[in-house]
Amino acid sequence: MPIFGGYAGGVEETAIVDVATHINAFVMSNASWHLDGPVHIRWGSTNTRETLTIAGWTCATISEFTNILSGNQYYPCAGPCTEMCLLELSAQSITDTASGREILSGVAAAKGVVTDKTTGMEARMMGEVARATAGMEISEVNKILDALVPLYEKNYANAPAGKTFQECYDVKTITPTDEYVQVYDGARKKLEDLGLVF
Amino acid sequence: MTFKRSFDSYEFYDRAKVGEKCTQDEWDLMRIPMKAMELKQKYGLDFKGEFIPTDKDMMENLFKAGFDMLLECGIYCTDTNRVVKYTEEEIWDALNNIRQEFTLGTGRDAVNFTRRTVGDKKKPIIQGGPTGSPISEEVFMPVHLSYALEKEVDTIVDGVMTSVRGKPPIPGSPYEILAAKTETRLIKQAAAMAGRPGMAI
Repeated sequence: MPIFGGYAGGVEETAIVDVATHINAFVMSNASWHLDGPVHIRWGSTNTRETLTIAGWTCATISEFTNILSGNQYYPCAGPCTEMCLLELSAQSITDTASGREILSGVAAAKGVVTDKTTGMEARMMGEVARATAGMEISEVNKILDALVPLYEKNYANAPAGKTFQECYDVKTITPTDEYVQVYDGARKKLEDLGLVF
Repeated sequence: MTFKRSFDSYEFYDRAKVGEKCTQDEWDLMRIPMKAMELKQKYGLDFKGEFIPTDKDMMENLFKAGFDMLLECGIYCTDTNRVVKYTEEEIWDALNNIRQEFTLGTGRDAVNFTRRTVGDKKKPIIQGGPTGSPISEEVFMPVHLSYALEKEVDTIVDGVMTSVRGKPPIPGSPYEILAAKTETRLIKQAAAMAGRPGMAI
């Protein structure tokens, strides 16, 4: 996972390293596909403006100039059952789908470091947003991202912790709570207002 | 100059024993940042705040910069503190011979992994799961079942069990192996309970 703000430096420099590591997977390991995941050194997230830009440029470039198959990992700051988490992962799903990514892999909510803070609902949103984004004009996609990312990017330091799987689901029937369904609907409505058609 | 045979992991191992010596600090703090900065300037890279690129010339410059980065720096082997270098021909040989399609999973639950392009109308594969997040032993199967039950999800990416038989899966211990095997069994069980026994993990 290339680190924005790490040894390589800024957005363009990290994207250079990201392209190099994609290619290396196929030289060194004769890989079938490469799992990417540009992550922010301060926030530990793949959904920041900078890491989305690195992922978007790298994947589009790799798709345009090679036959490499590529995936991306999801690490939002916020935890499950929060609108911020769903908006963060949606921004990445939009970026990945539009830039030609073959696999979307996630979602490790709450940065993937808190026990039991991931659920199937985040993956549902990742999939629904990917379906809605596929085939959109890139100029339109960029407009949506320009409006979507500011909705959450000021909240990294105080990102809502969210709830555990046991609090988000009836564990016996594997059914999400009414609360989570309402949060999900709210996030989906915001995405529709920004121009996504589900 | 043409190469004698295609590069592989065995050749990497051999070169990692004889390549140029380099300290990790020299690699991390000098070579990578200096080369990245040099290539950004050489190719005039400026993404101008765009999330998805619309400038094909700039994309081509990014590709050339990434290719040069790999060619000129090589790969650092932290086990031997040596640098493994590839030739330009070896890199192109790998890029020219990438499999463009394969299958993940089995039977009716299998999905075809095929190339997508920028702005592609085809939906990408959705690999749902905790992606390495820590998951309690008690809810490991139900958590993964919550993904397998989602029709948007095509394949499963697993979480990490925080304990197995109540013991932490400490690296190098027998419990580490037991945890890895138990994770796979429970995820396969979750996929089967969702009616998707052939789902790829």
